[in-house]
Amino acid sequence: MSKVHDVLVIGAGCAGMRAAIAAFDQGADVALVSKIHPVRSHSGAAEGGINAALGNASEDDPEQHAFDTVKGSDWLGDQDAIEVLCTDAAADVYELEHWGAVFSRDESGRIAQRPFGAAGAPRTAYAADITGHVLIHVLYEQVMKRGIFTYEEYFAWRLVVEEGRCVGVICWDLLNGGVQAISSKTVILATGGAGRLYVGTTNAYSCTGDGMAMALQVGVALKDMEMMQFHPTTLSPTGVLITEGCRGEGAYLLNSESERFLKDYAPKAMELASRDVISRAEQTEIDQGRGIDGDVLLDLRHLGGDRIRERLHGTRELSMVFAGVDPIDDPIPVRPGAHYHMGGVDTDLWGLTSVEGLYAAGEAACVSAHGANRLGGNALMETITYGRRSGKAASDAARELPAAEVSEAARADAGVQIKALLDRSDGERPHGIRDELAQTMHENFGVFRQEEQMLEQGRIIERLRERYQRVVVDDKGSTFNNDLTQALELEFLIDLAACMIPAGVGRTESRGAHARPYDYPDRDDENFMRHTMVTKQDGELKLDWAPVRVTKWPPGERTY
Amino acid sequence: MRGKGAELQVKLRIQRFDPAVGDRRLVPYDVEVPEWATLLDVLDIVKDTVDGSLSFRKSCRMMICGSCGMRMDGRAILACRERMKPIVNAGHVPTISPMGNMPIIKDLVVDMGPFWQKIRQMKPWLDPGLAESPEKENLHSQAAMEPIQKEALCVMCGCCVSECNSMESDPEFLGPAALAKGFRLVGDPRDAKGIERLEGYSGEHGIWDCTRCYFCNERCPKGVDPRDAIAKLGAEAIGQGIDRDPGARHANWFVHSAKTTGWLRETELVPKTQGLVETIKQTKFALSLARRGKVPTPFPPHVAKDVNESRSLYDIVKKQGRSGAAGIVQGEKALRKLEH
Ligand SMILES: Cc1cc2nc3c(=O)[nH]c(=O)nc-3n(C[C@H](O)[C@H](O)[C@H](O)COP(=O)(O)OP(=O)(O)OC[C@H]3O[C@@H](n4cnc5c(N)ncnc54)[C@H](O)[C@@H]3O)c2cc1C
Ligand code: SF4
Ligand code: SF4
Ligand code: FES
Repeated sequence: MSKVHDVLVIGAGCAGMRAAIAAFDQGADVALVSKIHPVRSHSGAAEGGINAALGNASEDDPEQHAFDTVKGSDWLGDQDAIEVLCTDAAADVYELEHWGAVFSRDESGRIAQRPFGAAGAPRTAYAADITGHVLIHVLYEQVMKRGIFTYEEYFAWRLVVEEGRCVGVICWDLLNGGVQAISSKTVILATGGAGRLYVGTTNAYSCTGDGMAMALQVGVALKDMEMMQFHPTTLSPTGVLITEGCRGEGAYLLNSESERFLKDYAPKAMELASRDVISRAEQTEIDQGRGIDGDVLLDLRHLGGDRIRERLHGTRELSMVFAGVDPIDDPIPVRPGAHYHMGGVDTDLWGLTSVEGLYAAGEAACVSAHGANRLGGNALMETITYGRRSGKAASDAARELPAAEVSEAARADAGVQIKALLDRSDGERPHGIRDELAQTMHENFGVFRQEEQMLEQGRIIERLRERYQRVVVDDKGSTFNNDLTQALELEFLIDLAACMIPAGVGRTESRGAHARPYDYPDRDDENFMRHTMVTKQDGELKLDWAPVRVTKWPPGERTY
Repeated sequence: MRGKGAELQVKLRIQRFDPAVGDRRLVPYDVEVPEWATLLDVLDIVKDTVDGSLSFRKSCRMMICGSCGMRMDGRAILACRERMKPIVNAGHVPTISPMGNMPIIKDLVVDMGPFWQKIRQMKPWLDPGLAESPEKENLHSQAAMEPIQKEALCVMCGCCVSECNSMESDPEFLGPAALAKGFRLVGDPRDAKGIERLEGYSGEHGIWDCTRCYFCNERCPKGVDPRDAIAKLGAEAIGQGIDRDPGARHANWFVHSAKTTGWLRETELVPKTQGLVETIKQTKFALSLARRGKVPTPFPPHVAKDVNESRSLYDIVKKQGRSGAAGIVQGEKALRKLEH
């Protein structure tokens, strides 16, 4: 296998595999790079479903889907990007079905659709409670069918930009060891989210935002990095997601006084209010001393054993394995946990970044289809639609571009840096830094933010970065050295956390996931219908602003 | 800072393997972990605080990515699915080792290359045999999609392959995970290549080489029940008259049984009506016969404890008028009904 390609896709989750398939179908020589086997990607953990206005369950159309998404985004989403997503969605979902996705069916044999938070129509297509799993496997089947080469268990570490153009990437080969260069005319980042910035997260260990950090290093702007969505029902303390389906079935949320506290926050919708509303209500209860060890309780007991066993089997198993609680007998301890990064690598409508040849798609990217708050079911759709578009655009561009080659100097330079890290034997193991970062991000940059706490977090991050300079990798071997790659991931996380500070401090308003009830409680459309754009210039972070692209929908009130 | 909660003192032994020196040894560890810890959390704490060179795979930590297959006390498990507290409370010191039937790369990391090679051998993508796709989705009822629901749960963790009896003696045996994937396609009403697939799977190293040890069913952490998928493939193959393979021809009893009872062969019901331990005992006996005589496991024809039970089961299924794999799926459902 020659390590020269037309299109190289870094990341093999739903976005990456969909991109690779599109590029292949355009005739490009395409390869995937993934630090874990493709089907292990965290897309597989998505449970709820994927949104497209198929209109199977009720009248629906792309325009309505787009409006719900704009409103859900608290008017920070770019409306042209949202229109593209909602217009392309249906055909993209049909294609997944043609490839063999095992969607649940309605009575007439069509793809079943269910209602999801903040959607005006039941438009979430699903496969029982394993939608992401079904999609990741069907995409991998299509990758196998095409024989698309995958650099499996390859850890991408540095993008190589020469004369303003991205020409490839430098990786650490996990299985065999060694620094490897892969050259490609175009590169697509599809490396997923960065939930591991937080101690409680629904994200996998692999969600360390590597692609965003790599893009930052080569001068690309990271957009809306302050926008991290918190999911209200994540299992305490590990953050494993407890599906919204529980509340759909009628579960209660209780505080330490056994009160259904949502009566004070969303008296109409109660437990069915939108994610951000519930997360904020929970955090308020916890902050005001009505939590239980930092949790609230999700009570299913009144549903009865039979219904729990039958309808919420998966939830029961997760709760028993990860919290030792059988929800038939006891309420489940839950808390808000970091779930989805709306922010990411700034791209245009075809996934192109500001660097020639460099694209991004999926959770790593910010096109921005989700603005300040993502609707459930829209993230998977984005991976497919924008994955496909970036794959097509990158292969089209590759046709026009001359051959690319990562210089030996760039590879050697990376090799020297990795060797220096491996050779260090005196210093601190990474886990202390990693855990402190995740804990303090939760405390100072969590559901609620205020200026002083964010600035304090900035100082903490800089201290952690200093400690990182002396981090020690125990494993000195070359075979499956993930002690090394986990240390490299930690550096990425530190870089990203640092980007979130100026963005969060700069947005002196409350919008979507960025809630500042104590200093700036209101949304300020006059000044902040703008995206934060953080770049790294000569080692310093710089905050700029870019206007929201509005096509049809002027800002309105976001009430449900 | 891994969260709150009381602590737990965990002792365990981990089989270490260093490919640089080829040295394999069992190393004891003793760590303090939060009381909610799973085996995966414990391994993480060992790696963080005791020896960073310990290698194992992980990602989702929620039983869906299939990364963390390994063995605990000789049984294949997902590390993120095993709570440590009950084990510690029982005073047990577990031994952790890599999965079986796959070459070890380092410590608990095995080479899954051959595993994926077999998956690829199944041509595991839908082939609708259409020149053009329909404009919208294919229309199929939920009932028509039902037969493949269990197979669609597979996370490709390898736990079944690790334990497969047949794989041990014949490394080229397609194996439970690949065959379950095979049924995932054969059973899909949208696939047009069923017969070709069945012919492919009926050859040497295929469905008839399964010794019916049922370990795959027992160890699969996702309830895929690969052995049942193989039975469904067998029923479909025979239904299609595919019995050219010597293995299939030797399986006269099987054909006979399939002919007389449709899909319903008591042999398939043994583990469900008599419990697992009994099955394994019988399987061991059957296996020794099978090894000597090179015939498929000859389960005694009428072992179901309660003949009436299997009769009424048969009646239920017959009423539904289904045969082949769909019949087995129906049968499973009916069985669940009887059990409750
Ligand atoms: C528990 C959970 C449930 C969810 N449920 C839903 C839902 O119901 N509906 C919905 O729409 N959305 C849901 N989401 C969100 C959605 O699943 C994700 O946003 C989406 O799947 C991300 O896909 P991706 O392809 O961008 O990234 P991922 O699937 O995370 O893939 C990232 C890929 O990049 C690779 N990678 C990363 N770093 C490197 C590196 N340095 N080198 C090489 N490879 C690398 C990884 O190996 C992986 O292959 C859920 C999220 C979670 C966590
Ligand atoms: S039943 Fe068959 S496939 Fe399953 S483990 Fe035993 S021999 Fe292997
Ligand atoms: S059938 Fe079960 S044990 Fe085998 S690979 Fe699939 S999920 Fe794992
Ligand atoms: S870590 Fe994903 S299945 Fe265990």
